[in-house]
Formats: sequence, structure tokens, C-alpha cells
Amino acid sequence: MKVDVQSLDTFNQLAHEGAEAATRSLTQMTGIEATVDVTRISLLDREDVGEELRGTAFAGVQFGFEGALAGETVLVFEEKRVGDIVEALMPGGCADESMAQSGVEEIGNIMMSGFIDGWAEHLNATIDHTPPTYIEREGAAVVPDGPETGARDQVFVFRSEIEWAGEDVNFYIYMLPGYGSMAELLAEHVDTAGDAIPIEKLAVFNQMTREGAAKAAENVQMMSGIETEAEVAQLSFVPIEDVPRQFGEDTYVGTVVEFTGTPSGFLLVLFDEASAVTVAEALLPVEPDSDGLTEQHESAVTELGNIMTSGFVDGWANVLQQSVDHTPPRLVHDMGQAIIDPLAAQLGRHQRHAFIIDARMQTDEVDFESEIHALPNEQELRAALDELVVDRADQLEADAEQIF
Amino acid sequence: MKVYDGSQSDDGPEAEPERVKVGIAEYEVTADDAELTTSGLGSCVGVALYDTETGAAGLVHVMLPVAEEMDEGKAAKFADSGTQLLIDELHAIGANPRTVQAKIAGGSDMLDFSEGGSGIGDRNVEQVRATLAENDIPIVDEDVGGDHGRSLRLEAASGDLVVKSANREKRTL
Amino acid sequence: MAEVLIADDSEFMRNLLREILEEDHTIVGEVENGVEAVEVFTEEHPDLVMMDIVMPIRDGIEATDEIKDTSPDANVVMCTSVGQEEKMKEAVKAGADGYITKPFQKPSVMEAIQDVVPS
Repeated sequence: MKVDVQSLDTFNQLAHEGAEAATRSLTQMTGIEATVDVTRISLLDREDVGEELRGTAFAGVQFGFEGALAGETVLVFEEKRVGDIVEALMPGGCADESMAQSGVEEIGNIMMSGFIDGWAEHLNATIDHTPPTYIEREGAAVVPDGPETGARDQVFVFRSEIEWAGEDVNFYIYMLPGYGSMAELLAEHVDTAGDAIPIEKLAVFNQMTREGAAKAAENVQMMSGIETEAEVAQLSFVPIEDVPRQFGEDTYVGTVVEFTGTPSGFLLVLFDEASAVTVAEALLPVEPDSDGLTEQHESAVTELGNIMTSGFVDGWANVLQQSVDHTPPRLVHDMGQAIIDPLAAQLGRHQRHAFIIDARMQTDEVDFESEIHALPNEQELRAALDELVVDRADQLEADAEQIF
Repeated sequence: MKVYDGSQSDDGPEAEPERVKVGIAEYEVTADDAELTTSGLGSCVGVALYDTETGAAGLVHVMLPVAEEMDEGKAAKFADSGTQLLIDELHAIGANPRTVQAKIAGGSDMLDFSEGGSGIGDRNVEQVRATLAENDIPIVDEDVGGDHGRSLRLEAASGDLVVKSANREKRTL
Repeated sequence: MAEVLIADDSEFMRNLLREILEEDHTIVGEVENGVEAVEVFTEEHPDLVMMDIVMPIRDGIEATDEIKDTSPDANVVMCTSVGQEEKMKEAVKAGADGYITKPFQKPSVMEAIQDVVPS
């Protein structure tokens, strides 16, 4: 079964419109003015779904759906804001806990009907959904299991983020269709058979990404002594203008390179400011002259970014038996969205959509988190996947001693 | 259950100005003193229009210089069509074409890997200037170029455009 | 004791290499790109060049190629974060004598140097 840019775009739009329909229902019911910030379709390991929610308690509703598409979906928001949301629906409603719960169920029910109905309409088929189940869970546990999958099985996930204007509240919709039924639907909507990519190659590429991230994490550990683990590896697809939206106003420190080869594109290694200081100090042989992010810190972060970048892309090069060159790293220290928008704009001159490859690593020992994001040229990624020999996918490492 | 029809406003007499977020490749206009915000401009440009006579205001966040045919329906993504769209929409809510003025910010050349010629940030700014000039709208203040990101807040009550950056002082245009 | 030239665009990495090497060797120069590497090599004729690959202006493989062209006896060890087979082959073609991938541990650097310039 194959997938192309057209079919991915169709379903991404469908999910986005579904989220917009859900948001209109919310506004109608409660007067809450909200907008859909971003929708994306991603392919990732089941166990990594919802990882970005960690550390926060959520409440919401969950549904199963079946018909033209089968799977599970959930609408959640921060548990501590349940009161505000129920209050908007029925003033005084949250005085009583069971009333509050039923208020959430009602909001969820109406929003998600809007979400699912759009899909059914587009697919010209019916999709039935089960009655809503109220849930209160911590972090990624709010995301439904999805059908018949193991932890390391890859799943398609549609994720929308809805922002309550003027309030610090986000609603999240996760939809996990069964892999088989989703793959079939994607394949049916392929428009340009010649450019289509076998879906299983996307999954293999994802595994390479995970290995690349693991290698980068290993490099961090070797250099800094900070025990680091690669946590997430995913491949997402969005319209090009939505690429910067995935990043907020938070300040990051890190490196950016342009890489050339098959594929070409951009690669970012980013740390939040605190993590940048932590990791730089672990690398520096002596205490830096002053607090905060000094030039010494920046030099250490630049080299770490360089080494993590190589760790990440070398695997692609070795599996594809090609070389992938990259420019020397450029140090960045700015708002996340402002860092990525010039890169998206440079790709946007030639493509309307983008694949984003994301990996994240963290450690429980100290406060440390790092992200790697790659933005490949879309056509070249397609070419690279076309050439990808699935059987070689484990040939990520080259041995210098065999060559020298 | 309280049912809203979506048209009524619950704002009290002393309500804070409504805050509306403008995403990348989006625009908003307001005739009632809302605050329009947009965040994380790198090479993107924010164009803020303000009618000194009626107080109507609008903000667009454009990404690339020139629209191509294949991009139908995404006018706000491009400097040429996005600026024009914002001008037209501002007129549509009653702005007087002769008293509209512009403030622009963004268009940084950070992380431009293109070799030779001017970068996307510069070209975005130049295109915005050209489209504003075609419409005889003066640019009264600007904060463009450089190698840092910006977030913007257009206060429609005054026409002030507040520019925030990660590592520097806030500026008001 | 050998005379060593360090070519790496990262100040951090130059410091790290200097600390490892200066115990047993003499550092005759530290440069930040391939053009400077060739220049300083021509002036100093060190026993060994520790050469990064990804550098601005001119990369380490091109610089190695030129150094080896004019001085076939020169010793050049690539010291790079790049771990791609194709790159290693390019380095061999350019005449590199050894290849160390970053991040490295001190003993592996000492060992690679020992192989190329035995003390």
C-alpha cells in the first residue's frame, strides 16, 4: 500500500476541518472563543503517542468509532481548568462533581460529533461512534490505546490543538485509527501513483530516525556524562505554513545546519535555555567565568549540536550508501518559532507541504531535554525513500577501521 | 443549560480589550479596539494597518514574497497578496483609504542559507513595501531586518505596535 | 614528541584536543578552516595534522587532498563527527592516514596518533 503527498494532505485537511467543526460547536455551546492552532498527521511508535502531554493531568472524553474508519479518539484539556469550562457551559454547574462530569461529557460529545461527522461526509460513508466515556488521567495515559497494537508498533495519529483565545487553555484532540484501515484509506486517495511511497518504508524510515536519535543521545552521554535517552521519533506531515506553528514563543538555544545529499534540508538541535546551560557546563572542563549563557557555553553547545547532528544523519547516509554533507553548525538563541520560520520559508519556495522528522531526548537525572528536528526537501525525501532498501535499514553504522 | 447564539457579547463595561491571535499566513481586522497579536516572526513579516480616522486596524503575518497560482486560497501566506488582502478587508469594515497608515516588523535575515542575492526576509519586506506603495499607504514606522525573531501586538485602540524579542528590549512603534 | 597542527572550526574542540595532546606533543598551530590548514601546514611542516571535516570556507577532505598532493609524506588524521562510510572512503582517497569519530575518548586519540607517528 502506498501513500503520496496528495493523500496525506487530504486527510490532514479533513482532520483540520473536523477540529474546526468541533471548535465551532464549542463556541456555540459555551461562548468560548477558540481557534484550531495546528493539526498534523504523524506516524510513530504507539508508546510515544501523547508523550508531549507528560507531567500534566487531563480530563476529557473518549470514544470508539467504527465504519469507514475504525479506531479511538479523545478530546482532553487540563484537569484544573474543568471548572472554567463547565462554568462557561452552565454557570454554577461545577458546584456538583457529577454535574461537572456530565458537563464535560456533553461538551465532548457535541465537539466530537462535529469532528467525526466531517470525516464521514468526506468519505461518503457512515462512521458510528460509541457514547462518550469520561476520563481523568495523567499525561500520555489520556491517549486511547487504539486498536490491536503493541508498544513498538507504529500508528497513525491525528493531533489537533485548539486554543481558548485569551486564556491559557488548550484542548487536544487525538485520533488513532487502526493502522490497517488508515493505510487502506490513504492508499485509495493516492493521486499520483508514480510519486507514491510504500507506507512500510515510512515506518522503516521512522525506525532509522529512532536509531539516529539513540546515536545522538549516546554522543551526548559520552561527551557530558549525562545519561540520556531518546524518547520519541516521529514523522509528521503538515502544510508548510504550519511548520513554524509547531513551535511556540519559548526561547531555545541550539544549532542549525543545512544538509545536502539525498535528501537535502535543514536540521535543528535545540535545548531549552536551562538545559543548554546544564549540558554546556557538563562539557566544560572548568567553571565558566560568569552565570547564564556565556561564549564558552555557546561554543560547547555548538560542538555538541555538531556531533549530535552527525550522529543523527550518518545513519541515513550509511543505509542509503550515500554521503550526506552538512554545513558547519550555526548557533541560534531565539524564540522557537522565529528559528524555524526562515527554514520553512526557504523550503516553501519549492513545496507547499513538509515532512517534519522529530526526535526528543531527556533524562530523569537532571533537568535536561533536547530536541532534534529535520526538515527535508519533500521531493528528495521521496527519492530517498524510493531508494531505501528495507533490508539495509540496520546498516546505520560505518566502521572506520575496516576502511583505514 | 444556557444557550448562546454566538452573536451576543457578555463583556462587561470595563472589559479588557479582546485579544485575537493571528497565526502564520493569517490575518485579522478589527473595528472595536481588539488587540491583535502574532508571534515568532523570523524572516516572516507582520504588516499592521491602522486607520487614524475610524480606528479600524488589521494585522497580517506573511511568509513568502510572491504568490503563485497553485496557492489559491492562501492569500495571507504571501507578502503581495497578503498585504493586498489586509488592505481590502480593512476597507470592507469601513476604513478610509486616505487615512490608513502602516507599521511593519520582521523580515530578519537569520538562518538564511541561500547563496548570493538577497534573503527571503529582505525580499518579504521589499514586497510589502511595494504593495503598500501601490495602494498609497505610508509606512510610518518599522523594525525590520537584523538577525533576531520578533513577536507583535497591535493595540487597535491607539494604533501602537509593540515589538518583543527574545534577547532585547521591547519597542513600541 | 611530535609537532601537531589542529584544524577544527570549534573552539571547544580545539581546546579539548590541545589538552589531550600537549602532554606528549607540541602544538604548532590551531586553525579554523581548510584554507588556513594548508597555509600553516606549508609553513610549519608538522609531523601530524588533526583534521576536522566539516569546516567553513574549505572542508578538511579538500585540505587533506592538497596537503597530500604536495607532501605525500604528511600525516593527516581526520578527527570528525561524521561517521558515514562514503565520507570515510573520500578521506582515504584524499590520502588520510587515520579517522577518529567524535565524540572520542582520550585513549582512542592517543592510539590513533601512535599508529601514525610512533614515538
